[in-house]
Amino acid sequence: MLSLFSCDDYQEKGGLFDKVDSRITKVTFQNIVESTEDLNILDYLYFYNGAGVAVGDINNDDLVDVFFTSNLHKNKLYLNKGNFEFEDITSKAGVAGNSDWNTGTTMADVNGDGFLDIYVCAVVGIQGLDGKNELFINNRDGTFTEKASQYGLDFDNYSSAAAFFDYDNDGDLDMYLLNHAIHTQKSFGKANIRNNRNFESGDKLLRNDGEKFVDISEQAGIYGGVNGYGLGVATADFNNDGYTDLYISNDFHEDDYYYLNNGDGTFKEVLKEKFGHTSRFSMGSDVADINHDGFMDIMTLDMIPENEKTLKASVGDETIDMLEMRINRLGYHYQYARNMLQVNQGGDFFSETALLSGVAESDWSWSALFADYDNDGEQDVFISNGIPKRPNDLDYIKYISNDKIKDKLTKTKLVDNEALDIMPSGAVQNYIFQGSKNIRFKNQSAHWLPQDSIISTGSAYADFDNDGDIDLVTNNINTPATFYKNKINQNSNYLKLKFAYKKPNIFGLGTKVISYHQGIPQYKQLYVTKGFQSSSEAMIHFGYGKAETVDSLKIIWPDNTIQIAENIKTNQTLTIKVLHKRATANYTKLFPKQKPWFRRVDSIPGLDYEHKENNYVDFNRQKLIPYKISDRGPATAVGDLNNDGKEDIFFGSSKNEPSQIYFQTSSGFKLQKVEVLEIEKRNEDVDAVIEDFNKDGKKDLLIASSGGEYFGRSKELIDRLYLASDSGLIEAQFPELYEHESVIKPFDVDNDGDLDLFIGGYTVSNNFGAIPNSYILINNQGEFTVKENKELQKIGMVTDAIWTDFDGDRIKDLIVVGEWMRPSFFKNKNGTLFNVTSQISKDTSNNGLWQSIEEFDIDNDGDYDYLLGNFGLNTKFKASVNFPLKMFYSDFDNNQKTETVLAIAKNKKYYTILGLDDLSNQLNFLRKKFTTYASFAGKTVEEVFDKKMLDKAILLEVHQLASGYLKNEQGKFTFIPFEDELQIAPITTMLKNDFNKDGEQEVFMAGNYFGVTPYHGRFDGFVGAIVGKNNMRVFGNRLGVDLSKKAVITANIVNFGDKDYVMVTINNGKVEVYELY
Amino acid sequence: MNYINKLYKSLFVLGVVFCFSSCEKEEIIITANEYHNAIDKLTEVMVHDIFSPPVASRIYNYPNIAAYEIISQGNDNYKTLSKRLHGLEAIPSVDTTKNINLRVAAIVAYLEVGKQLVFSEDKVEVYRDSLYNSWKAINKNSFDNSKKYGLEVAEHVKKWVATDNYAQTRTMPKFSIDTENPSRWQPTPPDYMDGIEPHWREIRPSVIDSSSQFTPSKHPDFSLEKDSPFYKELLETYTVGVTIKEEGETSEKLEIAQFWDCNPYVSTHRGHLMFATKKITPGAHWIGICKIACKKDKLDFENTVYAYTHTSIAIADAFISCWDEKYRSNLIRPETLINQHIDENWEPVLQTPPFPEYTSGHSVVSGAASKVLTQIFGDNFEFNDNTEVKYGLPIRSFVSFDKAAEEAAISRLYGGIHYRAAIDLGLEQGRELGSFVIGKLQIKKN
Repeated sequence: MLSLFSCDDYQEKGGLFDKVDSRITKVTFQNIVESTEDLNILDYLYFYNGAGVAVGDINNDDLVDVFFTSNLHKNKLYLNKGNFEFEDITSKAGVAGNSDWNTGTTMADVNGDGFLDIYVCAVVGIQGLDGKNELFINNRDGTFTEKASQYGLDFDNYSSAAAFFDYDNDGDLDMYLLNHAIHTQKSFGKANIRNNRNFESGDKLLRNDGEKFVDISEQAGIYGGVNGYGLGVATADFNNDGYTDLYISNDFHEDDYYYLNNGDGTFKEVLKEKFGHTSRFSMGSDVADINHDGFMDIMTLDMIPENEKTLKASVGDETIDMLEMRINRLGYHYQYARNMLQVNQGGDFFSETALLSGVAESDWSWSALFADYDNDGEQDVFISNGIPKRPNDLDYIKYISNDKIKDKLTKTKLVDNEALDIMPSGAVQNYIFQGSKNIRFKNQSAHWLPQDSIISTGSAYADFDNDGDIDLVTNNINTPATFYKNKINQNSNYLKLKFAYKKPNIFGLGTKVISYHQGIPQYKQLYVTKGFQSSSEAMIHFGYGKAETVDSLKIIWPDNTIQIAENIKTNQTLTIKVLHKRATANYTKLFPKQKPWFRRVDSIPGLDYEHKENNYVDFNRQKLIPYKISDRGPATAVGDLNNDGKEDIFFGSSKNEPSQIYFQTSSGFKLQKVEVLEIEKRNEDVDAVIEDFNKDGKKDLLIASSGGEYFGRSKELIDRLYLASDSGLIEAQFPELYEHESVIKPFDVDNDGDLDLFIGGYTVSNNFGAIPNSYILINNQGEFTVKENKELQKIGMVTDAIWTDFDGDRIKDLIVVGEWMRPSFFKNKNGTLFNVTSQISKDTSNNGLWQSIEEFDIDNDGDYDYLLGNFGLNTKFKASVNFPLKMFYSDFDNNQKTETVLAIAKNKKYYTILGLDDLSNQLNFLRKKFTTYASFAGKTVEEVFDKKMLDKAILLEVHQLASGYLKNEQGKFTFIPFEDELQIAPITTMLKNDFNKDGEQEVFMAGNYFGVTPYHGRFDGFVGAIVGKNNMRVFGNRLGVDLSKKAVITANIVNFGDKDYVMVTINNGKVEVYELY
Repeated sequence: MNYINKLYKSLFVLGVVFCFSSCEKEEIIITANEYHNAIDKLTEVMVHDIFSPPVASRIYNYPNIAAYEIISQGNDNYKTLSKRLHGLEAIPSVDTTKNINLRVAAIVAYLEVGKQLVFSEDKVEVYRDSLYNSWKAINKNSFDNSKKYGLEVAEHVKKWVATDNYAQTRTMPKFSIDTENPSRWQPTPPDYMDGIEPHWREIRPSVIDSSSQFTPSKHPDFSLEKDSPFYKELLETYTVGVTIKEEGETSEKLEIAQFWDCNPYVSTHRGHLMFATKKITPGAHWIGICKIACKKDKLDFENTVYAYTHTSIAIADAFISCWDEKYRSNLIRPETLINQHIDENWEPVLQTPPFPEYTSGHSVVSGAASKVLTQIFGDNFEFNDNTEVKYGLPIRSFVSFDKAAEEAAISRLYGGIHYRAAIDLGLEQGRELGSFVIGKLQIKKN
């Protein structure tokens, strides 16, 4: 009792975790890292990366012990005595180590005797650092013997960490050795230099051949180049085929590696194919099934801070040009500097959701550990972070370092401690995010953890006090290691599983468990090397909230046999022994795949259109606009253009490519050169309509020309009407509209039997933020005239519209959607349109970056609701009714041209999205106002600009970024957002049809968008979805389409050979055709 | 009490007497050194703020012109530049009834104009205020009048400066990289920075008729055919680089390349650690040579201002001419081509600066500046160039400005950042431009 009291006194309290004082733990270890003249950040780029921690029960007394590595000093082993008290047994155990620079460590039973051994990585060979990777074999008596050379694991290179796993399913543990380069290349080499093996920095795969480990990297297809900056290794069966795969995090410009295990002793690296983008400075990682779909998701860490003061004083994102060069010329993949959460899509590929999930930013982050810390059945994630010195501080780089470092470097090669002292410190609070039923996380750092300002690198979890919840330990630089004691205790239920598997993998590494309670599956796989340079306890832990019984546990052993336990009481620790008789695991049954809705067909013969976007960077001219406006093609129109009863297809191309017509024949499609289109190839065509406009029984073609490159009264902006005749298409009279349009929607507004038009204006080129003109054009026997409608004309930056009877008077009205505007309802009264939005829309503030609209009775109540595609929530833009996304539009620098300044709210204050360099590139006066980055960082938009200047500006706002629908309740509309799976990227197109032939219509949705700066990354994770009535949804890989990584513009039904196909057009890509099952 | 009052009174009288004598009689003595120091101060601020070479040349130019116009007010030897520099009108004339020290006014105007052109105004202000305080202490009346006049001229010059299109060029489009055409410039390692100042040709020149007046003849046609003149030049740059690497630290070519590097922002990366090595620009180096020559010839204040002004006008126009050509020919740098086609690990001795290759800026500027300096100080003017000592480089000796210019030009080949044509034709472009500036201005009488 007494000891408990004193224990409390010493604890720094958090909402879920208390920090246990070292007076209780008796753990005094700290990783002391101090610069010397011989060894510092200038000599070794990872001087501040910190060290690791491995936890495990080394003496099989059911208490988890702790081993810390120390970069420069002796490693320490602490024996757990219970109640968070530990005893330093390093010298007795003989595990202090002999290397000059230690890094990662793992506890694993390498020799298969049922006792955990300890592997310690080292960096050897730079600046006289001596030593080797060490393997301390457990003598089962509290002592260890170093036997790395005997096992062939005594590498003297630049190691980060090692992961033990059975890669070839032969029953023993093999090892992946994660290494890192130590040099900084002046130029990015080509990506393929990773094919040339390098001993010191190349990763290695070591096969356990019983007595010895053998390097089989090359034959197994493992990269080992000079470019590998390996900082994280994750092992899991990502595609549930019974073999363990690998995800390797690489720092800097080298891509991460995603190795799929071929099951024949080799791997195939397929990152580019399976991931849209990854972290740029990838550090530690972890895997967990966060969404209960039976597939392991991946989190990789980076170094982007939340805090404005740090963010804006640090080096920002690379330029578009630089990114394009790395991708297109050197062969790297898309990488952006932030944490990434890669959600596994049925083992087929990954969609990245960190921004939507709320876990993108956690400062200079090292170690991610997924676990159910609050025992509620959802995975949470702990992130250790911090860096002694922030070397990417812009003032330091540009203004301070010069005087302090230059001379030292050029003359004596020594670094001045004074110079390092000036670098700002990066000691910060560790992060923890609480998982939820969906894919969102809540930042609980300030609530769950004791407040601190430390530098934590390696970290591990374990149930140190055997109370059933998960505790944490971090290895800190220059402060004592932190023990976080979890105090959820048994307020929430749990199961802790340990395994007694076959020799030599007695601990059962690689074992998978699927737990079911109350119909909820949870899925885990046992691996211990995770986070950063560290290994966690060899157990599987599930939280169950209030549930007292687990319906069943399916245990899939590493040899892909399965055994099942049923009706298990929660709140206990079980050691699951492998049964003698076990069934073979059937993965297709365990992780069943539903029949997909669509099947990709290579193509309908001849339909080979490929859209090529011309290389125009809008940001070169309008440097501050939020996204491109010149990449919204191709236009697509389906209809019979030669009056032969078959549907033809028009594709409107980008600048310098002629638009094309594919004519349908009985055997397929045939591209025919159309002279009039060749002439106008400088036009960028973004929408088109095939209809009979002059009522001669033949269908005509109307094209909206657009594109951000042309402005003012460029003739390339004029829309064109081509009338069908026996001799082909002939250009006809049409009003000269110089607008940059987005959409044409025909409808007989005046009810005179011919088709009139709504033409929606998107933007004003070279003057983003200005409101373009939208028009109603009245058709008079094929001749169009603009019908004046002032309100409609300046309605906003229109992207889509629909003619629909929203008020039930059997006359179609018009709804217009667009960016920086609300969905606007225009009632059709005898051919004149009146804006009735405020009367029938229940949401007063509903501006979005709306992209698409479709009518659909989603709630199945007999009236039309309206589905709305928006920008989505997986973005750095933030918007709400109270704190809208703001865009100030004005001529800030008095150069007779307008600029836009975007600001988002953080903690109720508004900050510019762009940093000082980007802003002052256009608004040069800011360079004089802010002569240092520190003086700019943390300033609100009102502080950056004069209030006067902002007051003068026109303010555009967005309140809603979510896609969703306007629910129709007796003619009044309320916006309801969709679920998270539909918020991953902009939804740009919707296609209504009865796809599954069940007599009910569904809406197919697709999207993604890439016309943003590297600050945003790429909105590439939306695979496509089916939305049906009554919450019927089909997501992701179950659809049979993979439109992730593609910027979808439109989807159309094309009838060919009496069969309907779905044709998807893609910006800067090939048309895709799907048949319906 | 009375006694104390008396004491105060007598002290007061003494004080007045002291002030009276000093205000009326003591002159503020300004020597050429004060002008050199002001130039050095502005250089220091420019290095801190990191201005690219063309922008730096503009910052040298206008303050010197302001100072020069003031000294020409009081000295018949120096013709006013008004009406002879594009758009410059006569400055307000000096009120000879007032006690105005034109040298003080010249420095006041110099610093005032300079302050506006840099970012870190505070750094100029600190320097200025210490000068002001010392002058005020010597002769407040003279200082006040001179300062007033200096500021008046500065205002006049600033209005002229404001019309040179600099502000407009700040907001013009970023340079668009042509990734299709293999001969076009691409960003270079390690920072792959955007092409700087793509619209510098829009800046109003001081003397030359237009930015394109001294368009050099074309460089050899881009070709990767082994026997083409272009490829041979590419190979020369590559081979010289390899040779220098082999020769190592003792290579004279290496020393020459480093001596004339004159790169205001050399970026160094060590993992996540980045820092910049900052040096003066090519224009600043020649301003430094001008200082050396002024000091060697012991020029007085007025002649010193004249020498700096003439030199900086030529340098500024040389940059406009050179940048006009750079973004016309938009030629790819040797580093890019060598890495693509010859040796992917080849690195130039110097860091490739972030703009197109042809012509070499240092060659054009050295050509122009050397012409003007030869005109002022004569041919075969021997000097020891210690301009770069502050930046950790040695002293080099030259027998003439011409020879120095030639070495500066060829240093770009040694540095691995240019082909020979950019050097030879660049030097020619600069010399012709320099001669033109001399002939057109003839600013010093006799």
